[in-house]
Amino acid sequence: MNTHQRRDILKNLINPNRRDVLKTAAAGLAASLAPLPVRQAAAFAYEPYPTDDELETVVTSCAHNCGSRHMLVAHKKGDVIVRLSTDDGRYQGDPWGTDTEEVPQMRACLRGRSYRARLYSPERLLYPMKRVGKRGEGKFKRISWDQALTEISERMVYLRDKYGPTALLDQSYAGASYGVLHKSDQIEGLLARFLGMFGCRTSSWSVPSYQGTTFSSRMTFGTIEDGNEDDAFAHAKLIIMWGWNPAYTFHGGNTFYYMRLAKQRGCKFVVVDPQYTDSAAAYDAWWIPIKPNTDAAMLAAMAHYIFSNNLHDQGFIDRFTQGMDAGTMPEWAKDKENFKDYILGTNDGVPKSPEWAEPICGVKAADIIKLADMYATTKPAALKASWAPGRNAYGEQYNRMASAVQAMTGNIGILGGCAEGVGKGWHSEAVAYPYDQNSNIWYASIKSDRWAHCVLNYPNVKREEIGLWPRQDALDGVIPNIRGIFWHGSDWLNQLTNINKEIEAIRKLDSYGEGESLLVCMDSTITPTGIWADYLLPIATHFERHDTALPWYKGHYYIHRPKVIQPLGESKSDFQVFTELAWRLGFGPGYNPKASREYFLIDDNVDEAYLREWWEGKVMHHQGVEISWDEFKKRGIYKFKLPEPHVAFRAQIRDGAPFPTPSGKIEILSTTLAQITDWTRTQYGYEIPAIPKWIEPWESLNHPKTRDFPFHLISPHPRWRTHSIFNNIGWLRETFSQEVTLNAADAKKLGIVTGDTVEVFNDRGTVVLPAYVTERCMPGVAVMHEGSWMDIAEDGTDRSGNPDFLTLDEPSPAGAFAYNTVLANIRKSDRIHRPGWDQLATARSAVFRRDQ
Amino acid sequence: MAPTYDKAKIKAAAKARKAEVYVPVVPETQWGFIHNNVDCIGCRACEIACKDKNGLAPGPRFRRVQYIEGGTYPEVFAYKVNMSCNHCAEPACLPTCPTGAIFKRKADGIVDIDSTLCIGCRKCEAACPFGAPQYDPVQNIVVKCNMCVDEMEAGRKPYCVMGCMMRVLDVGPIDQLRAGTYETKARGPNDDVVNQVKHMADPELTNPSIVFVPHSKGRV
Repeated sequence: MNTHQRRDILKNLINPNRRDVLKTAAAGLAASLAPLPVRQAAAFAYEPYPTDDELETVVTSCAHNCGSRHMLVAHKKGDVIVRLSTDDGRYQGDPWGTDTEEVPQMRACLRGRSYRARLYSPERLLYPMKRVGKRGEGKFKRISWDQALTEISERMVYLRDKYGPTALLDQSYAGASYGVLHKSDQIEGLLARFLGMFGCRTSSWSVPSYQGTTFSSRMTFGTIEDGNEDDAFAHAKLIIMWGWNPAYTFHGGNTFYYMRLAKQRGCKFVVVDPQYTDSAAAYDAWWIPIKPNTDAAMLAAMAHYIFSNNLHDQGFIDRFTQGMDAGTMPEWAKDKENFKDYILGTNDGVPKSPEWAEPICGVKAADIIKLADMYATTKPAALKASWAPGRNAYGEQYNRMASAVQAMTGNIGILGGCAEGVGKGWHSEAVAYPYDQNSNIWYASIKSDRWAHCVLNYPNVKREEIGLWPRQDALDGVIPNIRGIFWHGSDWLNQLTNINKEIEAIRKLDSYGEGESLLVCMDSTITPTGIWADYLLPIATHFERHDTALPWYKGHYYIHRPKVIQPLGESKSDFQVFTELAWRLGFGPGYNPKASREYFLIDDNVDEAYLREWWEGKVMHHQGVEISWDEFKKRGIYKFKLPEPHVAFRAQIRDGAPFPTPSGKIEILSTTLAQITDWTRTQYGYEIPAIPKWIEPWESLNHPKTRDFPFHLISPHPRWRTHSIFNNIGWLRETFSQEVTLNAADAKKLGIVTGDTVEVFNDRGTVVLPAYVTERCMPGVAVMHEGSWMDIAEDGTDRSGNPDFLTLDEPSPAGAFAYNTVLANIRKSDRIHRPGWDQLATARSAVFRRDQ
Repeated sequence: MAPTYDKAKIKAAAKARKAEVYVPVVPETQWGFIHNNVDCIGCRACEIACKDKNGLAPGPRFRRVQYIEGGTYPEVFAYKVNMSCNHCAEPACLPTCPTGAIFKRKADGIVDIDSTLCIGCRKCEAACPFGAPQYDPVQNIVVKCNMCVDEMEAGRKPYCVMGCMMRVLDVGPIDQLRAGTYETKARGPNDDVVNQVKHMADPELTNPSIVFVPHSKGRV
């Protein structure tokens, strides 16, 4: 194409206004540039370049598994998405740029903005595939949908009939399918309904991210809805970010922004974390570095200071709590220990004082006192007890301890306070898919990261080892004979703990012989888990099917998600696949009551019917929304305007409603836990104290094992991936790298500088990755973000730097994954690190040390 | 023996040459960026919004969020400096271009590269003190931020600004941004703005159209 032809194309593309401006600009240029060769600058920099206004605009949202959900606006030409933008305020019907505290824009993060690269990635699965090599070898051939579904359904029937109703393990997760209709979910998703109705399902009950927290909130408050909406944070006078990094993980559409507003209004910030995070920097927080896994001890010491100095809110305690002190102990528990006695050491002679906590936590007693004093005397103050410190051995004790401290200062149920915890805020209408007595049927349910242990030791497994959930029938206590796994929107082989042990478990399944086990992976791209599957089923992304998005964690809005483009290749929605399988297995109409068998070919009418019913029956009817489904579809987003910021437990504290606990109080002493006598017959398996207590974790910096493994490894959520989603996106790997963060003094001892390739190892595995050396990390702590796509070298080491080769598959009694309870060692290495399977060079984004 | 230079003479010659070859365009309104170094969480949504908008492969980065950190454990600090092209009043890139592909727009002062004229010689890349021009090895040309002129002309703002989750990045007429009279969320009620932060090239070189809300450790 020559220059003239290019200009002709451009003339058609560029609007008249733009041409005029260019002429003016070029004229000005010509006048001032006499000695240089003068040519008219006629071209736009990138051509041909249709502007946004020349493209079709479709509002949709992101859909990966994070606590938020933001708007994406697809600008498309024909059936191709040309670029994505985000909320600019006008889709609600307001003028462009509208962005108020009451109705803020829902701006997408870097992951959301990279969706086009994910949608059109070379890793997309476009056709059903069948394994032709060994499991894990990555050799597949393309087959037809008919062949895939026939073979899978025949194998399912064979395994169920031969090995019983627990033979198929449900490992669905919230991967990339979080909507009101197309829902992959651990407990109540489309797979759960499908396997349950089929009559063969072992469920995985513990949630990797936050089981310690959900347990704590259920025991203490009787609900996981302990969260404020994000705008409530703008009203705090003090925010303590305990293991919380809102610059990385998003809870609600604009939490980080409301916290900025709080800062502008004089709020003080504290971060308790082994790292000086970007949140600490942006909110100019007082950084209190703490040894990982010792948070419960520090909180106990704060409680000690508050009790000892009479800074607690006795009125609040008397009125709203059970078991906080002697006066709030119920009659039936008079012989049991109350929380105040435990803290003051009345019975065990060990006061949990700041001086007691100092050597455990590595935090000076004076700092603990200062923080406790700040928290007890600043009103209102938000102690946000994040999930990460709960992903530990006895992580639930940290969360329960935090609730006790929140309660003793009366910071629950008030604007600017905080009872989080889980942090689930405003109650959304989340279910448009069929939901009835068939929705969550299971025949066994285990702690999610014990499946490999169960497979490897079957049948010599005790129920408490795998956290078997009790049943009221003959199946109670029956150890599941797992013969197959369904991964639906789930990369759990890569994401659960102790990957080498999981691979061993798959080898055990291999050993049963061809056809005696079944591994099915349903996802939109190949994943590290999919590599191990027998069948790969291509699932349409959320751009390719109809749904409505909602943030599951907090955020009061819905975003319409139309079928923006036709599904790529032969991909089908997960609902289509399960419906067709159900038809083949004889329960199609029951599984998807609105669909005929044609649904596999045409899904539009059925999906529309479900969604319209949801909007009209639930959203309009229950939530007082007046705009019609059609109007909602036209706008693309509906943001609720709440009469006052939503604060958890306001009804209890202000209006005197009972808490949904057995006693109706905030249960520092848990009625449920206090009455358990045989722990092996509970899903927990092992004893959990009825009041929050500090329990020494099985690995920590205070453990003798540090002689061989001196680093405590933590694996927080990354910001450039959502768990393992987006690891294949070059744009994102260009922004941040998979690396192990080390304190500068530690690194110096090991002779390591930023950029050196190191191996991090313990008795469970070895991973290879670059080091990032910084003063922003506590000595003795190593940080490696979870979710990189495993890449196993011939010598068995992982070249990607996936921390789950080092984690232990022993969950806490309450089910909390012990992701952050890991000791390891580090040394320089000649081994190769590979940041991604495509081997694209990715440079570490530069950090400039600029004070020397 | 090393040659001896008359530095004053070289300076005068360089100055004369500059005056000879290039009189900068004086725009009707010079638009520029404002970035809050402190409140920025460094998420880089702006970078990805830009990459998507401009269809860039991994490699060239029009917008670059620089992470600055220092101090000694546990007394540490960190902040971000976010730059793309500063659309300088006296762009250093422009006179280096042998084909005249680089131009500064009269209306808004945006500096842009005509991709049909660029021969990929990369002289501008070397000349820019801020690292704005980015070499695209696939097309063999130099590309850079054009402040999303298409969006600006449609009465909207660039993708990076509209993508900023913390609302710490904005564009406006640079005079008003400097004077603090432009309404923007990038600047908080107690913030002041500066033209230069630590370790940034001297603004005297090109008079860049950018202001920052600086971190206390980033003040010059």
